[in-house]
Amino acid sequence: MAGQTGTILAMRGIQKRFGDVNALDDVDFCLGEGEVHALLGVNGAGKSTLIKILSGVYSKDGGTIEIAGKAYDLGSPRAAIEAGVAVVQQHPELVGDLTGAENIFLGHESAKPGLFSRIDRSGIAARAQAMLSRFPIDIDLGRRVADMPAVDREIVAILHALRLENARILILDEPTSTLTEREKASLFSMMKTLKAAGIAIIYITHRLEEVFEIADAFTVFRGGRNVATHTVKEAREKKISIPNLMLDSDKGLTFPPRSQKTDGDIVLEAKNLSAEGLFRNVSFAARKGEILGIFGLVGSGVDELSKALFGVVAPNSGEIHLKGRAVRFRSAAQALQAGIFLVPGDRRSEGLTMDEDVVFNTTLANLGRASLGGILRFGDNRKQAAALAAKVDLQPPKLDRALRGFSGGNQQKVVIAKGLYRQAEVYIFVEPTVGVDIGARSKIYSLMREISRDAAVIVISSDCDEVHGVADRTVALYKGAPIGAPDRATTRDQLLSAGIMGEMTA
Amino acid sequence: MISGRLIIRLLAFIALVAVIAGLFWTQNAAFLSEGNIRALMRHMSVQGLAALGLTFVIVVRQFDLSFPGVASLGAMTLGWLIASGMPLSVAVCGGLAVGIAFGLVNGVAVARLGLPDIVTTIATGGLAIGFSYFYSNGTSISQNFFMSGILDLNDRKILGLDMPFAILMAAAIVGFVVLHASRFGRGFYATGENRTSARFSGIPTRTLIVAAFAICGMMACLSITLLVASSGAANVTAGNQLLMPAFAAVYLGAALFGRPSVGATLAGTLMMSTMLNGFTLLAIPYYYSDAIVSTVLIAAIALFDPRVSGLFRTLVAKKDKTA
Repeated sequence: MAGQTGTILAMRGIQKRFGDVNALDDVDFCLGEGEVHALLGVNGAGKSTLIKILSGVYSKDGGTIEIAGKAYDLGSPRAAIEAGVAVVQQHPELVGDLTGAENIFLGHESAKPGLFSRIDRSGIAARAQAMLSRFPIDIDLGRRVADMPAVDREIVAILHALRLENARILILDEPTSTLTEREKASLFSMMKTLKAAGIAIIYITHRLEEVFEIADAFTVFRGGRNVATHTVKEAREKKISIPNLMLDSDKGLTFPPRSQKTDGDIVLEAKNLSAEGLFRNVSFAARKGEILGIFGLVGSGVDELSKALFGVVAPNSGEIHLKGRAVRFRSAAQALQAGIFLVPGDRRSEGLTMDEDVVFNTTLANLGRASLGGILRFGDNRKQAAALAAKVDLQPPKLDRALRGFSGGNQQKVVIAKGLYRQAEVYIFVEPTVGVDIGARSKIYSLMREISRDAAVIVISSDCDEVHGVADRTVALYKGAPIGAPDRATTRDQLLSAGIMGEMTA
Repeated sequence: MISGRLIIRLLAFIALVAVIAGLFWTQNAAFLSEGNIRALMRHMSVQGLAALGLTFVIVVRQFDLSFPGVASLGAMTLGWLIASGMPLSVAVCGGLAVGIAFGLVNGVAVARLGLPDIVTTIATGGLAIGFSYFYSNGTSISQNFFMSGILDLNDRKILGLDMPFAILMAAAIVGFVVLHASRFGRGFYATGENRTSARFSGIPTRTLIVAAFAICGMMACLSITLLVASSGAANVTAGNQLLMPAFAAVYLGAALFGRPSVGATLAGTLMMSTMLNGFTLLAIPYYYSDAIVSTVLIAAIALFDPRVSGLFRTLVAKKDKTA
């Protein structure tokens, strides 16, 4: 393990399960005093679960945690704070109407806490300024937080996390996601000062280049396991590929064979589609008979793009053409009517009615077909749902069971059955296999291939191997912009570097 | 379609009503007399119609606190139209129209403008009460009532059933078809249980919420029409007695049958009416009835809450194991 100096944090054999999903499986994680340690991994790899255990939000199912040689249970956020763990959330919750100094000492306004103790404004300002003066940065803590630039807010949030004297471990969750390059520099200089003061920093980021800029060591998570811990020096010397570590190349997955058909009719076409602050200049054509893949990390705009195609997010400019005609959907209902079906990324909150049964959910997106003169055709609905359940291989095939009682993979199969019942012409799959076990994943991929014979299929995912494995033509979206155009020849590594770093290296 | 669990719930409900009825019967044999059962069913008809309307609003997971006020306005509108010589059909439709209009206002305010349902409907209910004083400065209206035939809505019989109960049954059948056998019913439940997924499935969620409020307003006015028919006068406070029993019936039914539905609401209403009627027979003063209804309402809400009902289930399951 890294760290010439003492180890401040040692987590060993950490276990965490959510239902039937192993979020963390026997994870070891160590942190040296004064070390900046980057935590890497795609979404769902286990980074945030580990952080939530360390900050007392989740309780672990197994394993031990030692901080500075002392064992802790960290059963609550309070216990974690008392143990010296300070957390800055990805989007820090600051009170916009209060000043920076007031935010830093929110909840600790008075030296002598009491119900009627007066808030000592000048005292707060002085204490905040004293804290800030430890760092080689200068911001105006007397300003309202709402008026501050993003980096100042981040610094306020860090100072708020460090307001207690005992903080020894600071967790920063993607602090740079909203910062410019210049602003990043002042954040990094603050981190260096903290490091010099002996505070260890766990740094979560999706930007790999930052690892080499600021971190001493990094740990890569994948599928709930710690797959590699290296010092940055090691990684440089041995030329270790972090993207390859992040993505599981050997999952025992089988992808259906690719389509040889390249001249299918264009069904859905996006032309320079842009939505302010979400994505821009996205162009592609989805053809019948093939699968178009769009790879993009969380926050790259892919989820919003899928919703723009489905009439939920309104694009500012650009056009959507459906079978050659320009269309503009004002609601999901209109998109469905036109023949577009979205398999949403968050199936529990967007795709399914969890307390209702399989028949209810399967027929919900096409109640016109499910009824005659407004009256439901119960017998026919059941028959069709049974046929679709067999087609998607629903396990167990219990049509009367509420969706809550199925595994993630089988819930997703019901969403697909719902789409099949709709008989759409364009199917958009967003993150189709998040929380889905391997067996069900292969089945879902082969269903996508099958659907693509009669319809255009678009798969949008933050899993590069999934996009590359299942799609015929692929393109990556990086910070809202497409890198290149959808191409059959794009290799996995090109797609990966385009989506993670924004450039197509050969 | 009928699952084993539903049969168990139904049997449990029948047993519960039988036990309650038995208790009252031992205290006062008149409880099971024909006259009393007819009185009970009349009472149930008035409460049941209002509760049926409220069921739609509860299914889409909103609240309507305006319907008692709207019902009062409906009653006064009905009375005024009769007093001014309009035919009965016109007068009844006028009353129902008031309910629909206020329901539409509620629905648009909540679903389109995104206003909070509880506060909005308190306000519209207050507005309706204010309007109900316009017709007669608050005095009750009963001119022309004898001639108009409105009293027949209370007194006549259809197929051996008292008219109010026949109307309740007819409304329940229509309500059942809409909520449980039609595509719209699917939409109501989908909207209530997961609005986003309903929207993504092409369900016109906002329109259905507006419709639910309109149905609730209309049913409250239909309910009050029966009350006006039985008392022979329209009164500005007529709707006051609807609020609590309707909520209690819907939630009690939902607690007994797992979710709000037409059948559950009828069952809840039957239970409420049985209890109120029984307590009246036992000469418990009427002013305690509000307290009784409120207690039942609290208990029903607690049971309908998934956490509490889950606890309840595990308790029952443990008992089953030990037995």
